[in-house]
Amino acid sequence: MPEPFDRLACDIARYQAAYVEGYARLCAARAAAPSSFRMALDCPAVPTDAFKVCRVAAFPKEETTRCFRTSGTTLGSRGSHELRDLGSYDAAAVAFGRWSLAHDLSPRAHLVALAPSPQQAPDSSLSHMIDLFVRTFGVKRADAETYFIQGDTLDVAGLDQRIARALVAHEPVLLLATSFALVFLLEALDEAPFRLPNGSRVMMTGGFKGRSREIDEAELRRTLAHTFAVPPRDIAGEYGMTELSSQFYEGTIRDAGARSGVYVEPPWARVVPVDPETLAPVAAGEIGMARIEDLMNVDSAFAVLASDRVKRVEGGFVLVGRATGATPRGCSIAVDEMLGNETGAS
Amino acid sequence: MAVVGAARRIAYDRVRWVPEIARSTGLSREGVELAFDHHLETDPPDADIDRLVQGTETAPGVHVILSANVFVGALRAIALARAAAPEVSVHASKRDPVFARALVEEMNDPRTFLADVPVETVPSGEVHVYGRDATIAEVRRLARRDVVVRGHGAGMGIVCLSPNADLTRAASGVASDVVAFDQRGCLSPRVVFVEGSAERARAMAGAIHAALERAGREVPRGAMSADEKAEASRYLDTMAFAGTVLRGGSHGIGVSGDGNVLVPPPGRYLHVVAVEDVAALASLVAPIARHVVAMGTDDADRFHLRLPAPLRVTEPGRMQRPPLDGPVDLRSAL
Repeated sequence: MPEPFDRLACDIARYQAAYVEGYARLCAARAAAPSSFRMALDCPAVPTDAFKVCRVAAFPKEETTRCFRTSGTTLGSRGSHELRDLGSYDAAAVAFGRWSLAHDLSPRAHLVALAPSPQQAPDSSLSHMIDLFVRTFGVKRADAETYFIQGDTLDVAGLDQRIARALVAHEPVLLLATSFALVFLLEALDEAPFRLPNGSRVMMTGGFKGRSREIDEAELRRTLAHTFAVPPRDIAGEYGMTELSSQFYEGTIRDAGARSGVYVEPPWARVVPVDPETLAPVAAGEIGMARIEDLMNVDSAFAVLASDRVKRVEGGFVLVGRATGATPRGCSIAVDEMLGNETGAS
Repeated sequence: MAVVGAARRIAYDRVRWVPEIARSTGLSREGVELAFDHHLETDPPDADIDRLVQGTETAPGVHVILSANVFVGALRAIALARAAAPEVSVHASKRDPVFARALVEEMNDPRTFLADVPVETVPSGEVHVYGRDATIAEVRRLARRDVVVRGHGAGMGIVCLSPNADLTRAASGVASDVVAFDQRGCLSPRVVFVEGSAERARAMAGAIHAALERAGREVPRGAMSADEKAEASRYLDTMAFAGTVLRGGSHGIGVSGDGNVLVPPPGRYLHVVAVEDVAALASLVAPIARHVVAMGTDDADRFHLRLPAPLRVTEPGRMQRPPLDGPVDLRSAL
């Protein structure tokens, strides 16, 4: 019988209050005594900004074995998430990735990534996760046959060859890509079809903010389905961030009844929309800031307050976009304007 | 200048205007009074006006778009436009139209008039737009090709204090600069760099905290929107985690213990950080440098060369009182 979520959450939060000075200070500032934690929601959430301005870790620096960094650099500071043991991170990523994307995927599937390889981006949690999937869900091939983004260049010819081999072998493809790379691919294809083998599926992640052009996600999905000749339901969004150790997926590949745009949590994580000022959960069906409770974040911050706005719906949550900040009154620059194209995606 | 005379008359007759301006700006009545008393240029020296006029290029007409500004900023915007052109149309901010409209009406000049017209219909001359970068970009996109667009974007101020600075005096000045317009001006200080130890930075934060507490009793903060409160809450929580937070009744100060800069939202929030020396300051400022339009300092020579020009440089306490000698941000054409 697994322990209840709340009990585990409170234990982890108490541990973090004991070993993470900043969290102890935050608890004190929020008048939340760790000894009084009874439910996960009693535990204050750490704003993602904290990962940019200080170390968020319950262990000494010298025990860090891996450090993932956010991509935003506009203000010179990138968020860092240090880990001392990747065991639970990897196990969780693979378990929920398999459940969401690959539960019925052929072991002969071709794993193809439109994202930097871990060698190119050793501090990217997304590249690390994709590498886990590549090593776990399909037949491992050389990086050159797996990763088709090199710096800012998309190797369309190489991708085409790899897909052609999969088509000849009648083996499905699991295409793991950032939304931006998919837009880049569509532009390169210039409306030409790019059929994937039957049974193929696509995981897309990340936004487009600040990139060459922004595109409506539903439109992108329709265009991808048409271009790749895959059912729209076999294109699933992934939502994750460097500051977390868990990911969330649209459930459409796994569940024929799942709604597009609805992200599903693994049993060890919760997304709670909260009032941005009071940080209390909003009423059912209302939009709030994403308070993400992640039991895999044992050594950093169990509860994280993201900048994304979310809404609970049946079966999970939907992303409603990033908080745009307060409408400025006067000419004092707003924080979101200063951040420019910074995003919290992994 | 006629617009200065108009501002003087409005200030004299302020009883009529204060409640309405308080409603439209979100400032407290005391905050509006403070602006009339100390931040509206009702008696500028001739030399300043001469500099303002000399710094403008002539145009047949100017259309002024006041999208986001502190309310007294309308005076400078209209003054600059009138210095450039014989005919000026003014598109007042929808959120905060009161003072701009009052100014234009009080000028009673047929060649300076209110005009809520789409920018694409401005036939020629110049458009002066005051607002966020996105607004300026949109105006540039829409304006006709032969119309010159001069954009004045948002910005922020910083304070740099040398090892010789009198912290109590500087704190009092910083508090005045923050209380003015509830820190919503582009010159308003948001980050205070204190050369010296972390302990000195904490002492400065404590002094500002006390000064803001006093100032807040005299000039209460105005209304904050839910979004503004949320941003403030997020900043304070982040700094509670990352350093130290001093929370006042209507202000907050984050003190960074390890030299990190996190720009707080406007609304009487400051980030105080210790810097080892001037070189360290330069590297800390670099990521935000393009947004910095004003510096308050006790030692301009020490810091000025390390920061991008042009900047309004003055001592703390005078950051929100720039001479009426040109654009407030000294950036004539973004």
